[in-house]
Amino acid sequence: MADVGLGLIAIGAGLAVGLTGLGAGMAEKDVGAAAVGAITENEALFGKAMIFMVLPETIVIFGLVIAILGIFVMSGM
Amino acid sequence: MSLPESMSRIVIVGTKSHMDEAIEALFDVKAIHLIDHTVDADEGFTLGTPRPYSPKASERLLKVRAMEKELGVTKMVKTVPIPEDEIKSQISSDSVELVEKDVQSVLDKRNDLNQRITELNATKKSLELLSDIPVDLELYSGYRSIVSIVGTVAEDPTAALSAVNCEVFTSFNKKKGNVVAVFAKVEDKDAVQSILSECGFSEIAVPAGTGSAASVLANTDCELTTATTEMENIEKEIQNLLEKHKDFLKASDEELSIEIQKGEIPVRIANSEYTFVIDAWVPTAKVDTVKTAIESKVAGTYVEVQETRGRTMKEVEESEDRFKTAPTKFNNGKVVKEFEYPTKLVSVPKYQEIDPSILIAIFLPMFFGLMVGDVGYAIPFIILGAYGLKVTHHKDWRAIATVLFFGGIWAFIFGFFFFGECLGMHFVSSHHMLDVEYSWQMLLGLDNLPEVFSGILPYESGVGKLFHVGFLLKLSVYIGIVHLMIAYLCALYNKAIQHGFKHAFMEKGGWIFGFIGLVLVCYGLANVLIYSSQYTFNDVLPFIAVGAVFIIIEIVMNIKHEGIQAILELPGIVGNILSYTRLAAIGMSKAGMALAFNYIAIGMIAGGIDGILGIILGFLLFAFLHLMIWTLAILSAGLHGLRLQMVELMAKFFEGGGIEYNPLKIKRDKTASNANNN
Repeated sequence: MADVGLGLIAIGAGLAVGLTGLGAGMAEKDVGAAAVGAITENEALFGKAMIFMVLPETIVIFGLVIAILGIFVMSGM
Repeated sequence: MSLPESMSRIVIVGTKSHMDEAIEALFDVKAIHLIDHTVDADEGFTLGTPRPYSPKASERLLKVRAMEKELGVTKMVKTVPIPEDEIKSQISSDSVELVEKDVQSVLDKRNDLNQRITELNATKKSLELLSDIPVDLELYSGYRSIVSIVGTVAEDPTAALSAVNCEVFTSFNKKKGNVVAVFAKVEDKDAVQSILSECGFSEIAVPAGTGSAASVLANTDCELTTATTEMENIEKEIQNLLEKHKDFLKASDEELSIEIQKGEIPVRIANSEYTFVIDAWVPTAKVDTVKTAIESKVAGTYVEVQETRGRTMKEVEESEDRFKTAPTKFNNGKVVKEFEYPTKLVSVPKYQEIDPSILIAIFLPMFFGLMVGDVGYAIPFIILGAYGLKVTHHKDWRAIATVLFFGGIWAFIFGFFFFGECLGMHFVSSHHMLDVEYSWQMLLGLDNLPEVFSGILPYESGVGKLFHVGFLLKLSVYIGIVHLMIAYLCALYNKAIQHGFKHAFMEKGGWIFGFIGLVLVCYGLANVLIYSSQYTFNDVLPFIAVGAVFIIIEIVMNIKHEGIQAILELPGIVGNILSYTRLAAIGMSKAGMALAFNYIAIGMIAGGIDGILGIILGFLLFAFLHLMIWTLAILSAGLHGLRLQMVELMAKFFEGGGIEYNPLKIKRDKTASNANNN
C-alpha cells in the first residue's frame, strides 16, 4: 500500500504545479494584454510593464515549492 | 553608498552683446544642465528670441533633411566626416542651395517619369483587355445617337441584353478577365447600364488612339520600355548624386542642428533689455572650473553659486518650483555604468535616493550564474558577452551583452567550484548520481578526475541540481533573505538622508523588525513541519517566541500610520522570500532537460544504432539540444534574475521619478570638431 501513498503524493505534486501554472497563465494573459497596450502608447513604460507582467509567475514558484516539498520531504527521500 | 552626484545651482549673468560667446562657452564646459526659465518667474525678465542666424539655419536644415529623405541618405549610410570650419564655410557660401538645385532637377525628372509610367501602365491594362474585341479604338467614340459602354463583367450579359436593341461584343478570358463592349442608342443607355450592373459590370476608360487595340498596345509597350530605361538612368543619376553629396548632407545636417540648438538657447533663459540670466545645475565638483572657464572666456559675465543641494526633502520643499528637482547624475564606475540600463527601465533615481545600479551589478550576474551554473554553458556566454561588448554601441544590446558576460563568469564559477558540471554532466562520478546520469569521468575514462577535484567541490562531486534539492531550496531562500535585508536597509538609508534618522526609523524600522521576526518564525515553523523527525516544537520555540516579539514590535510601530496594512503586508514578505526559490527551480529545470537530452544523445552515440550514421546523428542531436537549453537559459535565467532585482529588491526602497542630468554639449559624428584638429 505504500506505493499508493507515493502515487498520491506524485499526483498532488503534479496538481500543485499544473493548477498554479494555469492560474498564473490566466493572470498573465490579462496583464500581458494591458502591458502591450501600454507600451504601444508609451515605450518608457516597458520596465514597469515587465514588472507587472512577471508578478503572477510567483504563484507557479509557490506551486513548485509545494510540489518539491511533497515529493522530497513527504516521501522521505 | 552610491548616491547620485552632488549638484550645485549656479546663476550666470552677462550682457546681451556677448550672448554668442556665452552660448559657445556654455557648450564648451559640457557641465551645464540648463534650468528653463518660465514666464513671469522674475519680474523684468522675459523669454528671449532665437539668435538672428537661427531662422536661416532652420530653413536650410529643412531643405537638407528633405534631400536626405529623397536621396535615401539613411542612418545606415556611412559617410566621411567633414572638418567643422569647412562645413561652416560651405554652408555660409550657399552650398545647401546649390546642392538643392542640383538634386531637385533630377528629383523632378524622376517624379514626372514616375507619373508617366503609372499612366502608361493603366493604359496598357485597358488595352490588354480590349485587344480581344474586334473594334478599332477610334470607333468607340464620336457618335451622336449611339453610345459605347465598355467594361469588365463577372458573368455573360449577352442573353439579358437581347431585350434591348444593341450590338454586343464580348471576350471571355479567364486569365485577363471578361470584357464586354456594348453599342446602344443613347436613349437605351440607362437600361443597358442597369442590366450590366447586375452582371458585376465595372467600366474601363477606352484609351485614345487609332487602329486596333493590339497595335496601340504594341506602341504603348514600346513607350513603357523607353520610360523604364529612362527611369533606370535617372535612378543611376540619383545614386551618383547620393555618392557625391552624402558627406555634405550628413555633415550639414549635423552642423545646422547644432547651430539651431545654440540659436535657441535664448528662448530657454531669462532676458532683460541688455542682460541675460541663466539658471543651471552643475556637478558640485565642477563648479570652480565652470566658473573660471565662463568668466575668463566671456567678457562681462559673472557666475555665482546659489546653493549646493543636500539630500533632505526640507530643502526641496523650501525652494522655488523650478528649482525643486535637482537632476540625477549617475555616479558609477565603468562596469556598474553598464547596469544603469535596468535601473532606467524602471525609472531614473531621484536625486535624494540610492541608485540601485550597483546592487543590480552585483546580484543580477550572480543570480544568472547560479541559475545557469554550468561550465559548458558559461563559456559561450562569456565569449558572446565579450564579443557583444566589443562590437555593439546600441544601449539595449550592450545591456544584454553585459549581463551575459558577467553572468557567464559567475556561471563558470558556480559551475566549476559549486556544481562541478559541464553540459549537464558532473565532472566526477559519485554515489548520489541518478541511474540514467552520465559523468565526464565515465565518458572519458579519466580515473584521476576525482583526485583533481577532491577538496574543490562540495559533496564529493559537486552539488547535484536534481539530488540536493532541499539544500538548493534552502540556499536560495537564504540568498533571498540577505537580498531583501539589503533592500530594507537601503529603504532605511534613503529615508534617513531625506528626513533624518528618527523619521526613517519610525517609518521603515518597523518593517525591518517585521522582516526579521517573520524569518525567525518561519524558520521555526518550517523545521517543525518539514523535519518533524529531527525537531520538536520545544526545540524551535525560542525562534518562534523571539520572532513573534519582533512582529509585535512591527505591528505597534506601523499600525499608527499604516493601519491594518501593517498586518496584511506580512504574508507578502513570505511570498517575497519564497520567490527566490526560483533560483533553485530554474537550475533544476535546466538540469532535468540536460539529463534527458544527454541520456538520449549519448545513448545514440554509445549504442551505435546505425553505425557511423548513428554516431554523427547523436552528436548533431547533442549539439542541437544543448543549444536549445542554452538559448532558453538566456530567457529564463536572465529574465528571472532581472525580475528578482526589479520586483523583490527595488520595490522595497526605490521610488524613482528623477530627471536625468543632461548637460549642454555638442556631439559630432559627421563633422570633425576643430578642437580635435588643434
